[in-house]
Amino acid sequence: MTFENSSEQSVNEVVGDDSGSGVGGATVAGAELGGATGAGGVADVTQAQESPRGRETKALAIAVAGWLVPGLGHALLRMWARAVACFLTVGVLVVLGAGMRGNIFSSAGGDAFDTLGYVADLGSGGFYFVARSIEKLGADVSHANGDYGTRFLATAGILNLLAALHAFEAARGHKA
Amino acid sequence: MIGNMIMGAIDVSGIRLSHFQGMLIFAVVISVAFGFLSRRRPADRIRYIVWSLFLFLVIGIGIGWAMYPFSR
Repeated sequence: MTFENSSEQSVNEVVGDDSGSGVGGATVAGAELGGATGAGGVADVTQAQESPRGRETKALAIAVAGWLVPGLGHALLRMWARAVACFLTVGVLVVLGAGMRGNIFSSAGGDAFDTLGYVADLGSGGFYFVARSIEKLGADVSHANGDYGTRFLATAGILNLLAALHAFEAARGHKA
Repeated sequence: MIGNMIMGAIDVSGIRLSHFQGMLIFAVVISVAFGFLSRRRPADRIRYIVWSLFLFLVIGIGIGWAMYPFSR
């Protein structure tokens, strides 16, 4: 009886998730279902044949893809809703931040704060260059809008790094 | 090049937001991102997003009011 209940709960979690038979999601689902049914079972067999080193490499590649193009890491894992959410949230923050003429830090920063800002901005991957091409007039932080824009851009980068880390953990088979 | 395409489609230069609009957009975007990343079921996600958004706004406005005496 307990087994039935836990299985049902696991099925609900899988159905509720945006993932289909993604690498990470399927592994977790397969593990929870005992690897017996559906796409989770198939993925489990595939993953069982895959060496731990191969899985780590694949997870790293997914994380890098997710960093370069926000949401791509989750898309590769077939977590569609999360992929779309990451792409849109990071995209909105970048477009608004650049539109508000926030400061986009470059590698030629003068102090530690500039370097930190550059790392944060670079976190948005390919969108960093989108922001640079949107903001043709340069930064204007003499008004609150520009200051908010700077925060939006940095937040977009950190958020994307978080999403890439999440995709990495999911690809490694950890519950995410 | 991609930026030029976006600029061509939507003119985003010189966006002006009030303090509240800025806070609201930030809160919505972060709540949605965290909700989707940290929860799996749609109902849980919606509940998380609404609760997180509520806390963002209440705490943000609360801090704003707390700082009011020192603003001048």
